[in-house]
Amino acid sequence: MNKIWAVIKREYVEHVRTKAFIISTVLGPVFMLVLTVLPVVLALSGGGEKSTLAVVDGSGQVQAEFAEALAAFKVKDGAPKYTVVPVSPAADPETQKAELGKSVMGGTYTGYVYIPPDVLTGGAAEYASRQTSDFEAIETLNRALTGVVVGKRLKTEGLDPAKVAAYTRPVKMDTVKISEKGRERDAGGSFIVTFVLVMVLYMTMFMYGSMILRGVLEEKTNRVVEVVLSSLRPFQLMMGKIFGIALVGLTQYSIWAVFGWAVTRYGGGIVKAIAPAANIAGFAMASIPPYVFVYFVVFFILGYFLFATLYAAVGSASNNEKEAQQMLMPVTMCLVLPILMMQYVMRSPNSGVSVILSLIPFFAPILMLQRISIVMPPATQVLGSIVLLVLTTFGLVWLTAKIYRVGILMYGKKPSFGEILKWIRYK
Amino acid sequence: MPYAVEMEHVTKRFGTFTAVKDLSLAIPAGAVFGLLGPNGAGKTTSIRMMLNIIIPDEGRIGMLGRTLDDSMKARIGYLPEDRGLYPKMKVGEVLEFLAEIKGVSRAAAPAALDKWLARFELSDWKAKKVEQLSKGMQQKIQFIATVVHDPDLIILDEPFSGLDPVNTKLLKDIMLELRDKGKTIVFSTHRMEQVEMICDDICLINKGEAVLQGRLAEIKKEYGKNSIHLEYGGSIAFLKESPDVEKIDDYGRAAEIRLKEKADAQSVLKSLAGRVRVDKFEIQEPSLNTIFIEKVGRSEQ
Repeated sequence: MNKIWAVIKREYVEHVRTKAFIISTVLGPVFMLVLTVLPVVLALSGGGEKSTLAVVDGSGQVQAEFAEALAAFKVKDGAPKYTVVPVSPAADPETQKAELGKSVMGGTYTGYVYIPPDVLTGGAAEYASRQTSDFEAIETLNRALTGVVVGKRLKTEGLDPAKVAAYTRPVKMDTVKISEKGRERDAGGSFIVTFVLVMVLYMTMFMYGSMILRGVLEEKTNRVVEVVLSSLRPFQLMMGKIFGIALVGLTQYSIWAVFGWAVTRYGGGIVKAIAPAANIAGFAMASIPPYVFVYFVVFFILGYFLFATLYAAVGSASNNEKEAQQMLMPVTMCLVLPILMMQYVMRSPNSGVSVILSLIPFFAPILMLQRISIVMPPATQVLGSIVLLVLTTFGLVWLTAKIYRVGILMYGKKPSFGEILKWIRYK
Repeated sequence: MPYAVEMEHVTKRFGTFTAVKDLSLAIPAGAVFGLLGPNGAGKTTSIRMMLNIIIPDEGRIGMLGRTLDDSMKARIGYLPEDRGLYPKMKVGEVLEFLAEIKGVSRAAAPAALDKWLARFELSDWKAKKVEQLSKGMQQKIQFIATVVHDPDLIILDEPFSGLDPVNTKLLKDIMLELRDKGKTIVFSTHRMEQVEMICDDICLINKGEAVLQGRLAEIKKEYGKNSIHLEYGGSIAFLKESPDVEKIDDYGRAAEIRLKEKADAQSVLKSLAGRVRVDKFEIQEPSLNTIFIEKVGRSEQ
């Protein structure tokens, strides 16, 4: 036991003081913060470019009101976003469009809007510009023009556009999540939190698994393993390594948890300070029940041990990183598949397929955690997935120990899957 | 005489390949024991079994008077042929770790460590990372790791490879010192002249089987004084035709000549006289090198 402890200590100290650990620990939260705050800030400061639009009104009735509607849009400093330059319609629309196109190319206009004479009876308008990728701008123009044209049509029929707008106002529908805590408003925050939690789980299992793999491979290729094995059993070395890296992971999680708490507590304030008008729905962390976080830690630990064992087996059987990458394929599949299934589970978390998928030990950490964070599944299912996960992990530890003790001392050609199976039977 | 290691009818197979076959050997305590054999003979497998790293399929291994088990690992020191330390760790930390897993207490480790570092003049390097050291220095560090826990049985696989003459002498002196303190040393190498100078007993393994075993002096005596050590100038190719000569191991300026049974060394000397310059002509026991080649070569046929 003292020997395992010595291995754990070595693994822990060696990893915690690497630059990679310090950087990923610090940058992880910064990255998360940037991912949450940046889109909000960008969206708010967007649309900062001014445009000069040539407007050809073939109908002669729309242009003035269209310009008026566009005047409502401002850039950040309060200046109007759109400068409308009315252009009289020429006899031949096609020639005129070509002419305007040249002006757009020349830089006189950002673009032009061509309104056909029959716009009120269904004719299609045309917006031309050098860049047509700004869907928001196109949407804005379309909506403004539609508003004006519909207003005109209503007036022709003797209706008051303002009244019609009021009558056809969409009905607002709030989403309310009912849970043990009662009713709570869900503004989409829980979806984001589920997604973030599952991704963190996925990435860290991947990251720490690779750490195990590299460690095993390093000991093997450095040949230090032979000296170490003259002092302790392969099983002790393997378990020491797995537990050591687990502690590295928990250390990193603890640091992130403190940071996460700080963001939840003060993050809204930060966003408000940067962008006062921001909708801070994304910071609905606090409304996530604490048991989700408990299960998060439980499934991280269980999932970590399952995958760490697999990574250790692959590391011991391969001779170099390249071989390891090839042999890792099935392990990587087990990690990636549940990510692909997430969307299905998100839509129907309690369907038979979802239940079965989330009970499969290799998928359980990600999919069961996802289900728990959407709506708490029956206790038997949660317990069942945990029991299956634990049993599978014990089975894999037993198998891997047998592969590891042979593989770690086996140099030379890449072993086939059949050979690895034979190792299990060695005395 | 008590034995440090006793292997009795030990067999180890890997799949269909038999690495060690019905090997029995006894390593006397307090002596230097040469474990010899060509590449792939099963030396490493035998050593790994002595260390309980791999378990024999058949047979029994006794160690220091008991049946080998994991608790004995603390009393064995092992310097493998393929050396390796953790390159990113500091010298002191690596040694402390390796001592700790050998069961040396935290209190006792630093003193033992410093003593050995001083002996190898490496004290200034204790806080340096392993990767900053030269190959030779790393090798000495690895040797320290082998003996820092004061083991009773020390297994050294090619301990001199990569060392300069000064360090080779230092290491050899330390090996003999340890032997004089009653430690048993198992010395595995391909360098027969080193074995001849250092070892008391040897075991020659080939294809997983012991082909020669016993006290070195007795083995050589058994082969008799039927070898000639010749130092010369010229060409001795004509000797191959001589009816007295069994085999010639010609190095160009020196040669080892094995005589046929009941052949007369004097007639060889006579045939040499006048045709080549004879610098040295000595009748002696065959060198271990010759015995090695003969034993391994014979079973090869």
